[in-house]
Amino acid sequence: MSRLFRLIFLFVPRESLSVGGWIIVGLALSSSIAVLSWPIPQREGLEFWLFSKGHAELYQVKTDQWNAQRDPDVHISLLSNESLQQRMLASFLSDTPAADVIEVERNFVPQAFTGPIKDVGFIDLTDRLKEEGIYDQLNGPSFAPWTSRGRIFGLPHDVHPMMLAYRADLFEAAGIDLTQVQTWDEFAEAVRPLVGDRNGDGITDYVISMWTGGGFRDQLEALLLQAGGALFDEAERMQINTELNARVLATLASWMVGPDRIAVDAPEFDPQGNQMRLDGRVLVALMPDWLGGVWEMDMPALSGKIKLMPLPAWEPGGRRTSVWGGTMLGIPKTTEDFDSAWTFAKHLYLSEELAEGLYRKHYIISPVKAFWDRSFYDEPVEFFGGQPVGRLYIDLAPQVPLRTSSPFNTYAKDRVANALYLLKEYANENQKYKPEELMDEAHRLLKSSEDLVTRQVERNVFLRSEP
Amino acid sequence: MNSGYPKWAPYVLVAPFVTVFAVFMAYPMLYSAVMAMQQTYGAKASQFVFLQNFEYLLSDPFFWKAVRNTFVFAAGSVLIQLPLSLGLAMLLNQPQVRGRVIFRLIFFSPALVGTVFIAMMFGLMFNKQGLVNFTLHGLFSGFDPVYPWLEQFVMGSLIIASLWQYVGFNMIYFLAALQNVSRDLSEAAMVDGAGPFARFRNVTIPAIRPVASFVVLLSLIGSFQLFELAWVLLNNSGGPNDQGLTVVMYLYQNGFISFDLGYASAIGWALAILLMGFALVQHRVSTIGEN
Repeated sequence: MSRLFRLIFLFVPRESLSVGGWIIVGLALSSSIAVLSWPIPQREGLEFWLFSKGHAELYQVKTDQWNAQRDPDVHISLLSNESLQQRMLASFLSDTPAADVIEVERNFVPQAFTGPIKDVGFIDLTDRLKEEGIYDQLNGPSFAPWTSRGRIFGLPHDVHPMMLAYRADLFEAAGIDLTQVQTWDEFAEAVRPLVGDRNGDGITDYVISMWTGGGFRDQLEALLLQAGGALFDEAERMQINTELNARVLATLASWMVGPDRIAVDAPEFDPQGNQMRLDGRVLVALMPDWLGGVWEMDMPALSGKIKLMPLPAWEPGGRRTSVWGGTMLGIPKTTEDFDSAWTFAKHLYLSEELAEGLYRKHYIISPVKAFWDRSFYDEPVEFFGGQPVGRLYIDLAPQVPLRTSSPFNTYAKDRVANALYLLKEYANENQKYKPEELMDEAHRLLKSSEDLVTRQVERNVFLRSEP
Repeated sequence: MNSGYPKWAPYVLVAPFVTVFAVFMAYPMLYSAVMAMQQTYGAKASQFVFLQNFEYLLSDPFFWKAVRNTFVFAAGSVLIQLPLSLGLAMLLNQPQVRGRVIFRLIFFSPALVGTVFIAMMFGLMFNKQGLVNFTLHGLFSGFDPVYPWLEQFVMGSLIIASLWQYVGFNMIYFLAALQNVSRDLSEAAMVDGAGPFARFRNVTIPAIRPVASFVVLLSLIGSFQLFELAWVLLNNSGGPNDQGLTVVMYLYQNGFISFDLGYASAIGWALAILLMGFALVQHRVSTIGEN
């Protein structure tokens, strides 16, 4: 260091700066040298990013097995969903290395699929999945969210069929047998007697957790999908202002206002929403398989009081389930060892041991159809009143609707959720509470949403040239 | 005159700053200006579209809604927050108020709390089952116990949360300015028969004018950059019917949710131009009659 200063004094006279000035120069130089000479750890093995702590705990066991038996080693990094998304997209933008394997949640995937198909940052797995027979081994609809323009970019983690969770204790006490209900219209009729001040606090208590706004966007999409509606078809063509979508919106708005109101704002992952569930101020909720584990952890006091049944259909004989959430394993193009990353991905997601772990810990059923006859799915679950939860979900899995991976889906979902809010306000202001009275306005609002999404799509010069 | 420094010494001394500024400020700004004239699509594809992004922006109903909301928030912040801050500062500048230092600390302390925490706290308070409804229903039994504040009173909720956060912060600026108001001048005005209002108008206001105009500008810029508070309070969205959509939120939605970085850059530049316009107008207004 003293040599360095002697060198500096050759060029800058010692008296040019005050003592303080020289101290600052010294600190700046020494800290710069320290930073520059700090060793940068070299990455060894495969890097695996994921966002779920629950998944990470399960995967650690399988990863330890892999590391003990095979090369290269895999290192798990648990990131928040937003942080993972930002790092992943930044890597795709700049071609800088990301992880070798990334587990991504469905709401963050469409961004990665934006742009020409050749620019998608994940490796196209379509041919490999088909050649190795994996495509046929897994539940077909599970590939849909990870498929863009016919190409598959991820290995699916789950199926996530949905059921209706209800407070069996309170329904039984009221003498209502909800399991006989076949359609949503019958459901609304059946539960209406339970609306009222059930706990004597002067506040009217409703039945089903369903509302407008950000916390319910995914539930709304699930109900649209169940009805056969949805916002984009399989070819990613927009289909927002349809009869089915209008009917779902009109029905949901009729649940939220007026003398026949049955719905209440009790969002998931929300302490006040959970308190309402614990207090019996909301009795019914839409429940994908993964949500059961969350409820059990957050609200153990509900153990034995909750039961599951298939979703009521939108018309007699209609679909009794839908889908909400989802995760995939993708391999970025920046990986230097695709073969190891792909082998590890299969080691993890196609493992029976992991499928059992996922089910026992989170009630998530595996997309691997060969595991669906395993006995652990038939075991009674205490939290759900002794029901064989896995079997109930598996029975519905083949009916799970297909989902889009359109990059405009998030925007379209927002616009349709807003249409539902406006329809609810319209119903309130005009005192129109029956679904059939709301159909015209539902169509008008959906048309307006469709125009906005169309405007957004048509602005894109690349899409104008795509077939 | 020889200063004793080599001629190149100033260049060497400013070089670190210039380097950092060039890499982390100037280059990104220039690059965003270029991107604002591109249609970006996904991670790689981009096409030069010249001013098409700005053309679209001018006819984009969401952008104008965001601008309108941001204006309302800024007006609420400046017209309610600053008089409150000044009032508090004047109160706590009175020597006869006991425990002034403690009160200053108490009023300033919300500024030490992170915006995200404040948004979450007010989210819980304004929730249908929250403290606000609980209290109002307790006080007035006829009040709707589950009134949807975050559906029907979105901008008001944002302004109230922002008031709580910043009234005490701006109070400190006014307090510093008030302590520099000449006591002699004020006493001379009193001797001349000026009442409290006349002294406030003719002595206090002119004396604190530079600080006040700085605080106004700071509040306006801060209001136009509103993001975290609204984003968290409204559950990662613009709220029902986009009542809480702000310009920066719209920029974020386009850039990081729709992944349309070109359009997001155009929104960023529009915001910068708006803010520059404000700064100019504010400078003009604050210097009128100064001489």
